[in-house]
Amino acid sequence: MKKIENIPDKNPFKIPEGYFEEVNNRIIGATSGKIPDKRKPAIYHRLRPFLIAAASVTGFVLLSYTAIRLVNSHRNSNQTAGITAEDYYSPVFSDLDIFSIEENAASVAVPSQGPDVSKAEIIDYLVLDNIEINEIFEQL
Amino acid sequence: MILHEDADDALQNTFVNAWRSIGEFRNDSSLYTWLYTIATNEALTLINKRKKNSTVSFDDLGSHFSDSIEGSTWFDGDAAQVKLQNAILKLPEKQRIVFNMKYYDDITYEDMSVILNTSVGALKASYHHAVKKIEQTISGN
Repeated sequence: MKKIENIPDKNPFKIPEGYFEEVNNRIIGATSGKIPDKRKPAIYHRLRPFLIAAASVTGFVLLSYTAIRLVNSHRNSNQTAGITAEDYYSPVFSDLDIFSIEENAASVAVPSQGPDVSKAEIIDYLVLDNIEINEIFEQL
Repeated sequence: MILHEDADDALQNTFVNAWRSIGEFRNDSSLYTWLYTIATNEALTLINKRKKNSTVSFDDLGSHFSDSIEGSTWFDGDAAQVKLQNAILKLPEKQRIVFNMKYYDDITYEDMSVILNTSVGALKASYHHAVKKIEQTISGN
């Protein structure tokens, strides 16, 4: 088998005389000798710094808002931590008596279609029926 | 490229395209490798155009080029080089490209890998197969 190493690796093709001068002129002609404009980067690349800045500001605002909400809710829960429901409502109900309930009831409208019963009578009835004063007050 | 006219077209297109896309050159590879990549693509485009426009099969096209070598004004080789060129023409396209790059232009496998977007191992194998086939063809003649 003949080895290719015995064949010279010099390119056997030659070029016409003055070829490179001629091709040089043709290429300059084809490009009009103008330096190509630098390609404008895509709109995303141009806006990228602004998009990053906007995203950072939005992220900061959202984080701050969330943090403030969390701190405030924690603070409110601390303020009411040792207070029971009974303690919270007792000052309101301790001042209640049958006369003040009747007074408040005077301003409440009674449906006109119902029987002709006064509010005082309703309260008396409920009290006699062992209904708690607090419940009556809530209903009114 | 066997025909001077094809090589001439490929060269002109290479430099015109390089001129137009010089802004895209990123120093990831050397300027030589970048230009060689454009030249290889231009040469392959011309070859494919010729294949598409030709009414004869690619094998017949090979023999057409083979005849062109001996009759060409621009071929300056001896009988052994004619044999070598004919053997190269019989290679599959990829092996022919790899062989020409390595044998005549002495391009490193690493640069070839960038130009042809192929692994170094595959290129070495291609060159090895190409050399074997060429030696078989030459010895068979």
